[in-house]
Amino acid sequence: MMRAAATLLCLYAGSVFAQGAPAASEWLARIYRATQTLSYRGTFVYQQDARSETSRIVRLVEGGTDMEKLELLDGAPQDVVRNGDILKWYLPATRTIKVESRGDRRGFPAVLPEQLATLEENYTLSLGELRRIAGFDCQEIVLAPRDRLRYGHRLWADVQSAMLIKAETVDENAAPIEQFTFTQLTLGGVTRDDLRLRYATGGWRIQNAAVTKARLADRGWSVGAALPGFRKVAEVSRRFGDAPPVGQVVYSDGLAAVSVFIDPRPGGEQFRAGLARMGVVHIYTRAVANHIVTVIGEAPAASVQRLANAVEFHAVR
Amino acid sequence: MKPTISAWMDGECDEQGRPHDPARTVADDELRNAWTTYHLIGDAMRGLPALSPRFTARLLERLEAEPVVLAPQRARVPATRVRRTVLSLAASFAGVALVGWLAFAPLSGRSPDTAPAALASKAPVPPARDTASAVPPAGTTDYMLAHQAYSPGMRLQGIASYARTVSDGNARRGAR
Repeated sequence: MMRAAATLLCLYAGSVFAQGAPAASEWLARIYRATQTLSYRGTFVYQQDARSETSRIVRLVEGGTDMEKLELLDGAPQDVVRNGDILKWYLPATRTIKVESRGDRRGFPAVLPEQLATLEENYTLSLGELRRIAGFDCQEIVLAPRDRLRYGHRLWADVQSAMLIKAETVDENAAPIEQFTFTQLTLGGVTRDDLRLRYATGGWRIQNAAVTKARLADRGWSVGAALPGFRKVAEVSRRFGDAPPVGQVVYSDGLAAVSVFIDPRPGGEQFRAGLARMGVVHIYTRAVANHIVTVIGEAPAASVQRLANAVEFHAVR
Repeated sequence: MKPTISAWMDGECDEQGRPHDPARTVADDELRNAWTTYHLIGDAMRGLPALSPRFTARLLERLEAEPVVLAPQRARVPATRVRRTVLSLAASFAGVALVGWLAFAPLSGRSPDTAPAALASKAPVPPARDTASAVPPAGTTDYMLAHQAYSPGMRLQGIASYARTVSDGNARRGAR
């Protein structure tokens, strides 16, 4: 914590990059490139508040194949598998598969400069110290928020491959509120067989989100005041189970995202308005024009609340 | 003081035209008892069944101990008729309790053993008769899954970022 505070202090005083070493923004670009090109397998620990979960992860990038699998090792078994833009969440306990499509379908090179520019508007980037984690020599990159509408982040990337080994989300006191750390990681040597599920899924219930592009303004919805630093990145209609379609608008500041869900209110059901928190995620719920508006995102309460209160409905004639 | 409780319940101000101060009711034993009694009278007059002793206190204990998650009830979760009646009763109580909880300091310290309740917050969703449960577990987790599909964290960490949604779903999922 002291190190983080010192790092951030240096940042505000005006840090000087080591001569010849890549700048923090170049490190970020390297990390993004690594996520697109590296195959690996490993075990990592996810920590949030007092909770800690261990998972296995496998990633394969080879020719036309772009797949990854997350396997939860604690508690009830679950797997999340991504193949291209399709995400499938397997829940053996209920014999259910939830199908989602990954939001950003634009090609990687096209996204990066735009995303980095947005990021640098909202965060100040700087380099921290070198540190050894899970057998890798890592460079720390600090993303300090420029305002209180977003959290800070600390990233540790392998000096050689730029593979992200550890990531931390920190609050306004630079205290960690969420952490991902690899405890074991092997780069390369991955085959398709490593991504197979270990159980059969015949006869399982499939819930497809059936995501389609939408223009919620056509139905009278608007967000009155934009959240500073956040830009709209998606606007869709989707399904949760058999319920009527729900509208979703997503805003992003380059690193964090906040979604606004607009749900036609189920007949006669009660709901609780207000704010809730799950680690780095805040959720704010309110009723607007017989719909339930739920704003959810990995941002401080103020951001989620502000966006929720900006949602308006004007009946379309 | 008590006439103002009655007036407050009817949405009125006191003789001086001031609205009742809720904080005083919370802090004052006599006022709190008056509040409870008047509501009991009102419920009896409306023919609503009486709830078990210390219902509100137990509800507040459980609410406090819960990892607060507020999301709309999902239509696909079936509810028995009995559960619906109890839930709507609880909702009206809980609505008051929740407003109180958000607006005022928590009433902790009055309730004897909160330790079992704190452990229970990590347990699966309580059985149907426990009306203190705020939300079916699938609600918020489904929103999280839908949200993370668009999160820039996916670009930085890949599928590892889903540990956030998956592990939370695990912590709150109940036996179906």
